[in-house]
Amino acid sequence: MTHPEMNELYELYLLGALEPELAREIETHINEQCVYCRERLEEAAVVTAAMNGMAEEKRPPKHLRARVLASVRAPKPAVNWFYALGALAAACLMLVIYAGWSINTARTLREQIGALTVERDQLRSAVEVLSRPDTRMVQFGAPAAPQGRVFLSRNGVVFAGSRLPQLASDKTFQLWLVPAQGAPQSAGVFRANAAGNFVNVVSRPLDLSRIQAVAVSVEPSQGSAAPTTKPILVVSLG
Amino acid sequence: MAADDNEADLVEKVRNGDPQALAAAYDRYGKAAYSLFVRITRDHGASEDLVQELFLRLWNRAHQFDPGRGALGVWLLSVARNMAIDYVRSARTKFQAGLRPLDQTKTTAISYKPREPENVIDNAKAVREALAQLNPNQRKALELAYFEGFSQAEIAAQLSEPLGTVKSWMRSALERLRKAIHGGVKP
Repeated sequence: MTHPEMNELYELYLLGALEPELAREIETHINEQCVYCRERLEEAAVVTAAMNGMAEEKRPPKHLRARVLASVRAPKPAVNWFYALGALAAACLMLVIYAGWSINTARTLREQIGALTVERDQLRSAVEVLSRPDTRMVQFGAPAAPQGRVFLSRNGVVFAGSRLPQLASDKTFQLWLVPAQGAPQSAGVFRANAAGNFVNVVSRPLDLSRIQAVAVSVEPSQGSAAPTTKPILVVSLG
Repeated sequence: MAADDNEADLVEKVRNGDPQALAAAYDRYGKAAYSLFVRITRDHGASEDLVQELFLRLWNRAHQFDPGRGALGVWLLSVARNMAIDYVRSARTKFQAGLRPLDQTKTTAISYKPREPENVIDNAKAVREALAQLNPNQRKALELAYFEGFSQAEIAAQLSEPLGTVKSWMRSALERLRKAIHGGVKP
């Protein structure tokens, strides 16, 4: 195709009105950096843009100008603030979660340390009771009934065994030192594990000559000053 | 922004993020673009959306435009026509999902030189005068090509006329427009 032939086609090319073969031919020629064609194409673009004059004039609504301008002004700060606030909110949320996690973790650790400390102290006391030369042991129990051993010394009592029944969550076992005369003295509260095994250590000076028995009763979870129920177990030390 | 800023200055200011320059561009070409969108889409609401999208494109992509080459109106109205025809051809949802990227339109492959008449609105007036001299068939063929995006073959089918006849009408009509704007085809 010659330049004079193409001269009449540039507008049609820009409008997309040419048959595909002609359009491809012109496009290939333009891409070969033909200066003449590029200049004619630029002129053709002015003609096609001016064809806008065929449209009946319509006055845009007055609000459209403000809408267009708002769309280019508002987004930048709005988007920045949006992301800034979002990032801040996310950071605060993370901080709260971390703080909550830290507090819960610290509380859990404190509780675990407290429980371990109690167990350690009980073990120390138990070892001290069991290792004294004056310690004596009383065995108790019967088939299908709680059974175990009571270790007694002047420094305390170790009461250990198995087959104690499961209790409701608001109940506990309470060990009593029963004297020949007078009211039973509390020797602490304890619970059995899921298998019914138990250990209770009493670490305080005792007058063994006055204690004739140990007994276990079921009491409210915080313990009682005196037995409130009939003992489920009585071990005579005589 | 002075009303008589030339196209190159206008584009340079838009490139620098001057909202007043965009306002000036809107004042200069907003009505022509809106008229074009309404004519092609026949939907005033959609035309408002398209006008907004058009000037957003100018705002966001002004850096791709060479301000030394002017003719902002030619660029805007060429892009506007492509957008409107795309809109009509596409489902609204497809339109909203993403308009055809600017760099896929023919308009970006073209540069415009300052020696061309700068204000395409003035050209439009000259085109109106030339259009008034066209016979109805010539005008109809041009309208179908420009507003509907039809090829010459499609126009021939639409008007139930031989392709050669349609080509002849369009050749004559375009020659009148060239003369009105440039004084005719360059040798």
